[in-house]
Order: sequence, then structure tokens, then C-alpha cells
Amino acid sequence: MTPPAPAAASARAGELDKKQVVAANRAIILVGNPNVGKSALFGALTGKYVTVSNYPGTTVEVTRGSATIEGRPWHVMDTPGTNNLVPMSEDEQVTRDILFTERGYAAVQVCDAKNLRRGLLLATQLAEAEIPFTLALNMADEAASRGIRVDVERLSRELGVDVVPTVAVQRQGLAALQQRIDAGGRASPFRPRYDAPLEAALAEITPLMPSGGIGQRALAVMALVGDESLRPHLAAHVSEADLARIDAIRRSVAARYPESLRFVVARQRLAAADRLHDAVVTRGGASGASGFARKLGNWSTHPVWGIPILALVLYAAYEFVGVLGAGTLVDFLETTVFEGYVVPWVTAAVRFLAPDGRVESFLVGPPGDDYLQHDGLLVGKYGVVSMGLSYGIAIVLPIVTTFFIAFSALEDSGYLPRLAVMLNKVFKRMGLNGKAVLPMVLGLGCDTMATMTARIMETRKERVIVTLLLALGVPCSAQMAVIFAMTAKLPFAATVWFGVTVVAVIFLVGWLAAKVLPGRGSDFLLELPPLRVPQAGNIAVKTLARIEWYLREALPLFVVGTLILYLLDRFGGLSLLERVAAPLVVGVLNLPKEAAAAFILGFLRRDYAAAGLFLLYEPFMDAGTLTRSMQIEVVVALVTITLFIPCIANFFMILKERGWKTGVAMTAFIVPFAFAVGAVVNQLMRWLY
Amino acid sequence: MAALLPGIETCPLCGDRFDAAGQGCRPSCPMAKGCRVVCCPSCGYSFPQEAGLAGGLRRLLHRLKRDRDVRSDSP
Repeated sequence: MTPPAPAAASARAGELDKKQVVAANRAIILVGNPNVGKSALFGALTGKYVTVSNYPGTTVEVTRGSATIEGRPWHVMDTPGTNNLVPMSEDEQVTRDILFTERGYAAVQVCDAKNLRRGLLLATQLAEAEIPFTLALNMADEAASRGIRVDVERLSRELGVDVVPTVAVQRQGLAALQQRIDAGGRASPFRPRYDAPLEAALAEITPLMPSGGIGQRALAVMALVGDESLRPHLAAHVSEADLARIDAIRRSVAARYPESLRFVVARQRLAAADRLHDAVVTRGGASGASGFARKLGNWSTHPVWGIPILALVLYAAYEFVGVLGAGTLVDFLETTVFEGYVVPWVTAAVRFLAPDGRVESFLVGPPGDDYLQHDGLLVGKYGVVSMGLSYGIAIVLPIVTTFFIAFSALEDSGYLPRLAVMLNKVFKRMGLNGKAVLPMVLGLGCDTMATMTARIMETRKERVIVTLLLALGVPCSAQMAVIFAMTAKLPFAATVWFGVTVVAVIFLVGWLAAKVLPGRGSDFLLELPPLRVPQAGNIAVKTLARIEWYLREALPLFVVGTLILYLLDRFGGLSLLERVAAPLVVGVLNLPKEAAAAFILGFLRRDYAAAGLFLLYEPFMDAGTLTRSMQIEVVVALVTITLFIPCIANFFMILKERGWKTGVAMTAFIVPFAFAVGAVVNQLMRWLY
Repeated sequence: MAALLPGIETCPLCGDRFDAAGQGCRPSCPMAKGCRVVCCPSCGYSFPQEAGLAGGLRRLLHRLKRDRDVRSDSP
């Protein structure tokens, strides 16, 4: 096999690999999707003495070790997990380059027997590349326990390679695998078939590809989809005239499809893997998806039928979170529990334990005064208990809890990945792809966590846009809790004003960012798990884990925020800040001057500010005396707060993930932009509402 | 630094099983200390580990299921 030069990873790859692997005459290369047990199989084959080094020219780690099979020494190399031989990341490129650069090795593809579809997608590519390999069906025990049966004989027959079930962590199937490795793998005759225009293009390109190494058809597919990492190799082995011809063919075929050729080829290859999968895998009745679940799963990704399903999901979530959580539970916890019991109990306990007048007055205010009128540290208008804990536990926690229940149910049902597929075209308009739904939906839980998840986007441009949209317009669960609570008591038209404004801003900014920012977008492949009825136990455990996380992260900040407000109020800073912010808050946004404090502390946590606004208007909402002017104020305040930087943790995460220049630029854009949109909404509503 | 519990996690989004070691929150986050959010290396999805009360509830549910299976298997 004459290998092409490694694409972009490194021209030095050959030197290092020859020294460490090929010198032993016999080498095994383990390849497979991420997290299928490659490392466990590597450990079972080699024992504990291994070396880990960066693949030359990259930061990707490759693990090497030695094994003895049938009395003869072998070198073993564990490659980074990959889903694709047309690389979409540095990891995938390193694996592809190793496979294309090495000579005379025995490749072992490790796949997860309970997730065989993904493994077969890679197997079809190894087959197309004419790489001899043996297929290890790992985690065979877990697949069997889930009622998944793989017809090993038929799979071996269809692929034309040896297939060995293994349980690497228990060394099961290891002897059989070693025998097959020693006997030498076979190149699979299996070839995925593409549609007529692609096959016609491949028929033209294939003869132009260099021969004697990797299968010409595989190289032709890579050239057809525009794999940039292959370009140096092609430039070295293909004449300029032929390269120009390939480009012309590629452009002509690309014009026939609305999606990129990379996506089209991947989809058709996946269909071939699906057919193979369905032929060899059977599922037990309990674990297989029912016919209706399969249909519902298909409808939920449909561009038309998916919309009513999404609307139904959103309506159910609103009723559960907005009405039950934000209405009933908040009323109960705030009025009955906190105002009725917690505040009087803390006050009584302090007066009993610290009868000294000054200490008592400092902590819970003078006897007889309404606590909202004095400045007690624990119980007062800015008291740690009466404000900080009341915000965190009585207002935000019940809504966050109901949101987490709804979110966990969606997560457990397998609906979220389907949402990503359905919204792919919408996100394309914003320079993104459907994969961006994941950080966006996750942002509804926590924007900081979601900013980290923006790493799943392939290009820098996509990561910057996702980070910007998260910071700008996606409310986190705690803030959404307060938004639900407030909009539930607003007239429907006012709620529509708020919703339409935020959604329009997200799309407008996303669309403009896609136009302005340099760089390119990408396509995505996402495996869809079966749609299933969510399990109550799973929902309970996931919700509890998230509530614990919320209490650990948010509650301390609520207390810190209250202390800052308390100190500002005590030393006159609050009134000073209110006066400074008045021209903007009162003059431009037409909000009461008390809202200034909410905006100032909004930077600490955006939901803290929203909770402050909630308390400001709650008496009028409860009494049903919210005037038209107040309704406009609520919408303007909610829009401005929603478009603010979410919280200080998110700000630091943006700096870390995107770099300080991008982070500062985003902040410099977001803060004035939030106020500008608030001002525009204020004017528009006063004319039109 | 993140305070992750060692062990194998299953991603609730893509179903991948992975070792939690090294998959935690970034230390740059001011809330990273004690944070138990893990990031799936396969699809990038982030989720909190089931530790503390949630871990206890998961173990309890497993035990109840096992007991029920044993009872249904016994003659």
C-alpha cells in the first residue's frame, strides 16, 4: 500500500511511526468511534507498559504499546476516536493520517455492539478505502442485556471481514480476536452506493486519483466533497489540469443539491450503513422502539409536522413551568412559607438570642416596624434572609425545579437531538447548523455551561456566533423562571411583545453576525437515539442532580448580591448609583428609579435583577392593578435584562473560551445594545401597544 | 478545579459512555471549584454528575429494581 502524504497533520508522521511501530514488522492499529472501548481493548492487548506522545505537529495524543500474539511481538497503536475518514476535527485527521500513512498493519475496528449503526458508518468508510481490518464487536454483554442481538455470521458475510464479539474490560473474546489478527485482516468488498449524479461524478474522478495506495474510489469521494486536508496530497500526485477538472466536476455536482456535498455523501453513506444495520440487528420487544414511537420520531424532525409537535412541547412546558411553577408554587413558598414562617421565625429567634437593642436592630430592625421599611442585615428590605434567600428559594427555585423536570423529561425522551435536526435550516440562516440547538437549549439551563458547550461547533465563526447569541438573548433557567412568573401575569399581547422582540433580536444579530464575521459554517451529523417514554426514576435523579448544582452555584451569589445591595444602601451608594443611572433608566427606558439597582446587580446574576423587577411589580400584578404604562415598563425591563450579559461567571467563561479581545468586544456590544433595544421597544410600545 | 467524582458517565444526549476524569468544567470559570458539571467528549453536551442526593436516589432506584427482578425470577 503506497500511502498518500499525511494531509495537514504533519509531514514528519512517517518518521516517528516507522521508528516506533513499523520497525517491529507487525503492527496493530486500533480505530473506532469515540468511547467504544478502544483504550480498554488496547490495555487488554498490551498490558500496562505504554507510551503516550503527541502525534507530530499536533496536540493530539497517540498511545503505543507492545503485545505478544502467538509467541510473536507486535506493536499496538491506539488512535483518537473518529466518526469519519473525511476529517472534521484535528483528532479525526490524525486518525485518518495514521491509517493512510502506515504500511502493512493489521487494523482492528472497535465498535460498540449496542450502538452498531455508528460503528458501521465507519466500517463502510474503511471498506471504501480498501483498508484490511477485523471488526471487534465490543461491549457485547451490554448489548445482549439490552435485548440487542447482532447476527455476527451475517455481518461477517455482508462486510466480507472477520467479526469478533468482545468484552474488552473482561478480556472476553480476546483470544479469538488475537487469532484473527495473526491470520491477517481482509479488505472488505462492501461499497456504499450513492445516487446517480454522485456515482457519475465518481466514475469521472476515480481514474484521476493516484493508484497503488488507498482505494482510488475513497480518494475520489474525499476529493468530491472538497476535503481540504487532502489537497496537498492531490497537488503532489495529480496534474494541474486534472485538478481543475475535478474542481469543475465538483462545482457542477454541488449545484444539483441544496446541501453541501459533504452532507449529501454522509447522508447517503449513513443510509447504506442503516440498511446493513437493519439486516443484522434485532431487538428484544422491551427495548425496541415501537412502530408509533418510530413514526413520532420521524414526524418530530419533519420541517412541517415538526412545528406543531414543537408548539405542543412548548405549550406543555409553559403550563407546567409558567403556571404551576411560577404561579402556584411561588405564591406558596413566598407568601406562606417565607412571609408567614421563615421571616417571623428568624426575627423571633434573633430577638430571643440577642436581646441587646443595637445588635437586634442591626440584624432584624426595630420591633414593630415592617421589615420592608428598615435595613436589618438578616431581615430587612435588603436582608440576607428576607431578600437573598427569598429570591433564591421562594421565587427562583420552584420555577427552576419545574423547568428542570420538564427539561429532564425532554432529555430522557430523546426529543432534543430531533429538535436539532428540525431546526437545522433555521440555524443555517444564522451561519450555524442544527448542532447549535444543543448549546442554545442547554443555555436555557445555564448560559455558562452552554458557552463551554459551544466547543462542539466545528469552526471558530460558529463558536463565536453561538457564544454571542447565548450571552445576548438566551435566558438561563433562573431568569426564565422569573420571566415566566412575570409574563404569566401580563396580558397576552404584552407577552407577545416580549417574546417577539427577543426572538427577532436573536435572529437579526445571528444573521448579521453570519454576514459580518469572517470564516465558514459547517454541516453536522447527529445520531438520533430512539424516541421513548421518559422514565420517572431517571427524571427524578436528573432533576435532583440539577437542583443540587443550582443550589451550590446560584444561592451563594444571591446572598453575595444582597450583601452588596445592603452595603450600597447603608452607605448611600445605592441612591448615588440610582441618580447616575437615572438619565438612562428613567429618562430613556421610562422605568422607575428603583429599577437602576436591579440593572446594576444584573451583572452579578441576570436572574437576580429579574427577581428584583418581579418584586417591584408583584403587588400590582397580584391586585390586578397593573396599568398600561406599567405593562410597558415590565416588557421594556424584561427585554433589557434578557439582552444583558447573563452573569459574571458567564463573562469569565467567554473571556476564557473566546479570548479576551473577542470577550471584551462582545461585552462592549451587548451592554449598550441591550439598552438601545429597550429604548426602541419602549417607544414602539407607547405608540402601538 | 472541577471536583468530579471518578467513574463512568453516560451522556443523556448521545448515549456515549466515557470516563469522567478530565471532562470537567474549565478552571477559568469562577464557579469551577466544586463544580460537578461534565462535558461529553463525543457530542459536547454538558450535564451535572449524579452525586450527593441524586447519586443516593439513583442507587436506591437500582436496588429497588434489582430486588424486584430477583422476586420476579424466584419461583
